[in-house]
Amino acid sequence: MLFLMFRIGRDRYVLDVEQVEQVLPLMAAKSLPGAPPGMAGLINYRGEPVPLIDLSQLATGRPAAPVMSTRIILVRYPAPGEGAHRLALCAEQVIDTVQRDPDAFVATGVEAGMPDWLGPVAADAGGFVQWVRAPALLTDEIRAILFHPAGVEA
Amino acid sequence: MSAGAGDGSSDRPGPAAAPRQEAVGRLLDRALPPGYREEWARYFAQAADALGGEAAAREGSGERRLLVFRLADEWLALPATLVQEITEPRPRRSLPHRRGELVLGIVNIRGELLVEVSLAALIGVGEPAGAATQARLAAFARLVVIGRDGRRVAFRVDEVHGLHQHAARDLVELPATIGKSASSFATSMVAWQGRMLGRLDGGLLLDAIDRGIA
Repeated sequence: MLFLMFRIGRDRYVLDVEQVEQVLPLMAAKSLPGAPPGMAGLINYRGEPVPLIDLSQLATGRPAAPVMSTRIILVRYPAPGEGAHRLALCAEQVIDTVQRDPDAFVATGVEAGMPDWLGPVAADAGGFVQWVRAPALLTDEIRAILFHPAGVEA
Repeated sequence: MSAGAGDGSSDRPGPAAAPRQEAVGRLLDRALPPGYREEWARYFAQAADALGGEAAAREGSGERRLLVFRLADEWLALPATLVQEITEPRPRRSLPHRRGELVLGIVNIRGELLVEVSLAALIGVGEPAGAATQARLAAFARLVVIGRDGRRVAFRVDEVHGLHQHAARDLVELPATIGKSASSFATSMVAWQGRMLGRLDGGLLLDAIDRGIA
């Protein structure tokens, strides 16, 4: 199974490439005033507004460094009801993919109190890589705000 | 003791791989040039408006992308959609009782046996003259695999330039009065690096090869 690797702070995390639609260069985003922390704004992807989540900001409170290796990962996001939505994740050091057996990932043992999007870990020579569950990055509340069908009053 | 330490270090693939990874990291850890993010934001926003147009352009550009190669002294082009693979020339096994000019033999391309044909014989381009030229040519020779609908054949060319995408205005239809050499397959000419390339018609070429092989 192929994973896309990136970093949050010093640690390495992976996303299932099946969910990844495209890796985009870092681009300017429209900020969303009053958005929860980690919500970096909206990017215009081929005319479609795609919410951008800064993973560094979300996890460490420090925005991702504005360098070339910081990229935007466009993931497909299973939407309740119709089709799939897109979600853009801004992460650092998006320069590598790794081939790992899904069975190599084991529970961390400290799930309690951890955010839902942090999955199991797999050990390798450089330490651990942790599986990020993209769909869990948005809480139900934010999901409802973002993907509320147009024309329906809240 | 020192030998043991040496063995230990040679076992490990890590030290060699790590500097390369670091180098990549350093290269990509450059600060963004001014206007970088804005430019990409504009690009991906614009692509939306032109999405239909872009797809159409991509459709058309497939036909307008050509593989440019040299056969003897002649530069020719073939629609890139037809080309499946370009590899090093490999030993060819001749076929008994096939002494025709067109079929040269069988080549093994990763376990698949393909018929190698002589494109020069087919389209009537002369063999290059002179041993010096021959030696120079051998260095650049490539085996091109073309095919469509599961029919695949290979032929040797003397040099491959690469892919060339031409504008619609660079294409010149060939006057019907020219009936010499490659012109029965070259249906049009394409301007390329200040000269005209004969653009071979893929369909005609494959049909002729099929007739020749059968």
